[in-house]
Amino acid sequence: MSDRRLPRLLQTPAVILLLIWMLIPLGMTLYFSFIRYVLNSLRRPEWTSPSLSNWRGFGNYEFVLNNKDFFFAIQNSLLIVCSILFATVILGVAIAVLINKAFAGRGIVRVLLISPFFVMPAVNAVLWINMILDPVLGLQGIAVAGINEFIDGMRAAPVVGGFFSLWPELEPISFRATQTSAWAVIIMVTWQWTPFAVLIFMTSLQSEDQQQKEAAILDGAGAWSQFRFLILPHLGRPIAIVVMIQAIFHLSLYAEIEIVSRGNGNKNLPYLIGEFANNNIGAASATGIFAVILANIVAIFLLRMIGKTLME
Amino acid sequence: MAIVAQSSKAGRVSRATLAWIVGLLFFFPIFWMILTSFKTDADAVKPEFLIFFQPTLENYLNMTENYDYWRFARNSMITSVFATIFALAVGIPCAYAMAFNPSRATKDVLMWMLSTKMLPAAAVLYPMTFLTKSLGLFDTHFLIIVVLMLINLPVVVWMLFTYFKEIPKEIIEAGQMDGVNTWGEIKEILIPLAWGGIASTALLCFIFCWNEAYWTVRLTTTDAATLSKLIEGNRAPEGLFFGRLSAVSAAAVGPIVVLGWFCQKQLVQGLTFGAVK
Repeated sequence: MSDRRLPRLLQTPAVILLLIWMLIPLGMTLYFSFIRYVLNSLRRPEWTSPSLSNWRGFGNYEFVLNNKDFFFAIQNSLLIVCSILFATVILGVAIAVLINKAFAGRGIVRVLLISPFFVMPAVNAVLWINMILDPVLGLQGIAVAGINEFIDGMRAAPVVGGFFSLWPELEPISFRATQTSAWAVIIMVTWQWTPFAVLIFMTSLQSEDQQQKEAAILDGAGAWSQFRFLILPHLGRPIAIVVMIQAIFHLSLYAEIEIVSRGNGNKNLPYLIGEFANNNIGAASATGIFAVILANIVAIFLLRMIGKTLME
Repeated sequence: MAIVAQSSKAGRVSRATLAWIVGLLFFFPIFWMILTSFKTDADAVKPEFLIFFQPTLENYLNMTENYDYWRFARNSMITSVFATIFALAVGIPCAYAMAFNPSRATKDVLMWMLSTKMLPAAAVLYPMTFLTKSLGLFDTHFLIIVVLMLINLPVVVWMLFTYFKEIPKEIIEAGQMDGVNTWGEIKEILIPLAWGGIASTALLCFIFCWNEAYWTVRLTTTDAATLSKLIEGNRAPEGLFFGRLSAVSAAAVGPIVVLGWFCQKQLVQGLTFGAVK
């Protein structure tokens, strides 16, 4: 047997690169989170460069925790992540079950379905917020105007006119407003990530035990009980994985927020960090550490699950 | 085929119809973007030209004048291609070592690599800006290539590892008997055998690089700005430029969506790190 040391050494470049990539910036974030550090300050120019003499202890963390934007951002992050998870998992399971059986043109439907996933996030956001959701010029605006016009016309009609005059004028929704822009983000990300869920559930359904299924059918199990007692348990693990992977991705959602709700107050955690980083680096770093903690809570569960299947 | 026989014909037809409707609905926004890209900016916001209009290619022909599209596309192409090449150059030896010479630490190293991927990028935003600016790397191709490579390296190593594991160890060991050195093993035995796996890893890595929208937006201004940055910079056309913006978006997205169609299966493996097969 030849020497096994050299082959093992081949891992080192990758390991060292990732180690540098992880430790240096994270170490700096940790350091900055404990000092007073701002980019511009006429009053306290000594705070504009990082130095240990500006030590602030947990002051930045306190500042962040006392900042109402922070809780709003966490709340908003969670609202966005949870809504997307809920929608993608339900839609994903439904669609995966729907297209699991062969039908004419299944391959094409698969291709159509998976396409949104490959659209770059920036295009996704620009496309939805302008061309589709815009309250005047987008499809939403055009559709609402069309319906209103139709109802208006029907009011003058004999017989049914009385019925239509009861209908209110529809108001298009502006998705750039603070209260609604989170929903725009949820809609567009759900559109993009439902295909991912479908793909994974479908892959998993294909490994389903067909004999068990046939036995169930012979025993007279209906569609619902097949779904409830065979398909759903089989999908338990993939659902958990889809949830965790998406949670990690969507906790750091950025481009969509930046494009849809820049400056309107609808922030998530990464966006708030970006805002702090325009001046208050200490606060940005402390917020960053909170974001790391939040992501780690999810990541630990995910890694444990993946680890189980790893060396099989 | 007892199962198929049981479901009624009406049931099958309605199921297929529903599936088609769902598929078309999901594709609709992309279709709409492509359709709008063939309208003039003025027509694009007029309800009377919603579906029937005089198609024009001017939005595509004027992409350079309107947005300097090709400069951004070139930057996207350069950074994504080189990031993919470097990720493979570092990832193949690493995955080889892990698959054929595993130690007790291998599993932990793999898990640790994954955990770097789960670090929220925003947390290290300022240190990255600070470091790259002080090193003079801000807004350079080199920086974007390195960053794209590093954020995708865990996925690349992971995918390659799962492919390499499928190759029987005996084949590699036979090469060792013949006195082939480590480099020869990789080049002459491993790469030809795992070619398909390496290609799909590369394809997926390239797609992720192309679509990346955090670092490419935050660490560039002009010189190395990619298509994500271009689109992000035109986030609010206020209805003035729907036609031309659709064209540039379709051009940025089209090739990648088509590439994506070819690696659906690998996507599952790549994104779930082998946990769903």
